[in-house]
Amino acid sequence: MNKILKLTVVLFLICAVVAAVLGGVNEVTKGPIETQQREKTETAYKAVLPNADSFTELDRSSYADLKTIDKISAADNGAGHVVETTFSGAQGSITMAVGVDENYRCAGISIIKHSETSGLGEVAASASARGESFRSSFIGKDESISINDIDAITGATITSKAVTGAVAASIEAVKALG
Amino acid sequence: MNIKKQFSEGLVTNNPVLVQQIGMCATMAITTSLFNGLGMGLSVLIILTCCNVVVSLIRKIIPEEIRLAIFVVVIAGFVTIVDLLLQAFIPALSAALGVFIPLIVVNCIIIGRAEAFCQKNTVGASFFDGVFQGLGYTVVLLIMSIVRELLGKGTFGGGLIDVSNGLRFTLDGSGAGIKIFSGEYGAKILTMPFGGFLTLGVLIAAMQYALKRSAKKKELAAKAEAEKKEVTE
Amino acid sequence: MLFNIISISLGAILINNFIFSQFLGCCPFLGCSNKTDTAFGMGVAVIFVMGMASAICWLIDTYILVPLGLAFLETLAFILIIAALVQLVEMFLKKSVPSLYSALGIYLPLITTNCAVLGVVLLNVQNHYNFIESVVYGITGGIGFLLAIVLFASVRERVQFADYPECFEGFPICLVSAALVALAFMGFSGMQVF
Repeated sequence: MNKILKLTVVLFLICAVVAAVLGGVNEVTKGPIETQQREKTETAYKAVLPNADSFTELDRSSYADLKTIDKISAADNGAGHVVETTFSGAQGSITMAVGVDENYRCAGISIIKHSETSGLGEVAASASARGESFRSSFIGKDESISINDIDAITGATITSKAVTGAVAASIEAVKALG
Repeated sequence: MNIKKQFSEGLVTNNPVLVQQIGMCATMAITTSLFNGLGMGLSVLIILTCCNVVVSLIRKIIPEEIRLAIFVVVIAGFVTIVDLLLQAFIPALSAALGVFIPLIVVNCIIIGRAEAFCQKNTVGASFFDGVFQGLGYTVVLLIMSIVRELLGKGTFGGGLIDVSNGLRFTLDGSGAGIKIFSGEYGAKILTMPFGGFLTLGVLIAAMQYALKRSAKKKELAAKAEAEKKEVTE
Repeated sequence: MLFNIISISLGAILINNFIFSQFLGCCPFLGCSNKTDTAFGMGVAVIFVMGMASAICWLIDTYILVPLGLAFLETLAFILIIAALVQLVEMFLKKSVPSLYSALGIYLPLITTNCAVLGVVLLNVQNHYNFIESVVYGITGGIGFLLAIVLFASVRERVQFADYPECFEGFPICLVSAALVALAFMGFSGMQVF
């Protein structure tokens, strides 16, 4: 019994020391991590809604029944809204930011996270000219958008369709806010 | 245990991936660009060295029965530190490696070295063991990344090197790499899971071939030596 | 809700199979796939532990770590929970279900260092899954592992009789055959629940 007690105490002490060290490191890195994340969201949002200055996240209860919508943020100067949405692409889920302007038209899209096939669906998110042209073909479209209205990517119909559907759903979500 | 021997063991004769055949998951998963490969390799190198030193420091005071639990706690501690630091200062790398950074905890290389080496050796020897085994791991990741990136996407140094405005190293993973040939002609399959398994398989086969050949050479040399002796006698 | 669960299950078993598309759990996958029945035992043990670990780690993360602002201790806490869980399961099975213990016994300790288990728990947190989704993801991820390892074991049994270059002996030929099985699994990509 004494032995078990000793082992427990030793293990507990080591855990405590490790946890304390981690706490210290966490204190140091907490600030930079937060800044990084905020800056990242801010730049991503501004890229899809260029006329906005800063953003305020809306309360989840105003769109609680929309499962694919993660977040909606309103531009503080009334330039529109940015919707963060997660939906399934060809290989897994895609997370995307959609800018919706005050006339309920798409102001830009940006793919934040995806696991699409490299060279096919991945092009939709890539920085290449092809990806740029795919994404900018959404600008100015409203919720009636279909795959025929955009510059769809050859060989990545599923990805193109999924993105189109998500853009339409995002615009509808913003419209529903009133 | 001298340093030179440890060096060649870590990099070649007892290489963690190619010879001990451990720590495969991350090796196959993240080696799609030089940026990821180098980042993962260096993270493991740092964690392995720190863990080796700490484990060999405390090797005499920890009770035998719970040593594995203690190793795991120490490893998890260092992994979390590296994870937090990456998130704070190199977020692009942290995003690219994703769940594979915390998964270093269960990377058999680290617990394997703690159990097999640091328990019995001095702090100095454990330190060098960590550095060289980590280097061995990094070298394999680099070879894998370079091969898969070059053949799969036609670039070299993706994420790490940017040549659009003169040669520049990018630490935020934004560089497009040096274009060797157009990505359209790349064997994209190599950047997918299939390519991970295949590249590692061929790499280990090449290693076995080389080791076998050098062993055969030695054998032949020894034989010749023995024959020579016989003749002179 | 049901839609979510079906799409998570399908993803975990086929489309984003833990081994063939996420490379989680490769060590036991390559180590324990010599024979089909050992592979099956390992797979069942993994389903069991992954389901349990998902549930317990989710509860601890949501009700203890996050409210206390200790999210940075997740990795450390999870690995300890998994190790303790494996020990407990082993002790429990030994006493109460000896038949199952003798079938799974030798695989249980190996599971602690199976990165698929820690991986599934971390992915649950990363994907913000709720309790039910986490458990479903854990169990179906395990089923995906079982499917992969059993399929691969049968492939390996055939490969033994194949004629391949000498230097591919052992691990390399295994990896090359795994590559081909992964290629087959790529056929599932693009499958979707609408």
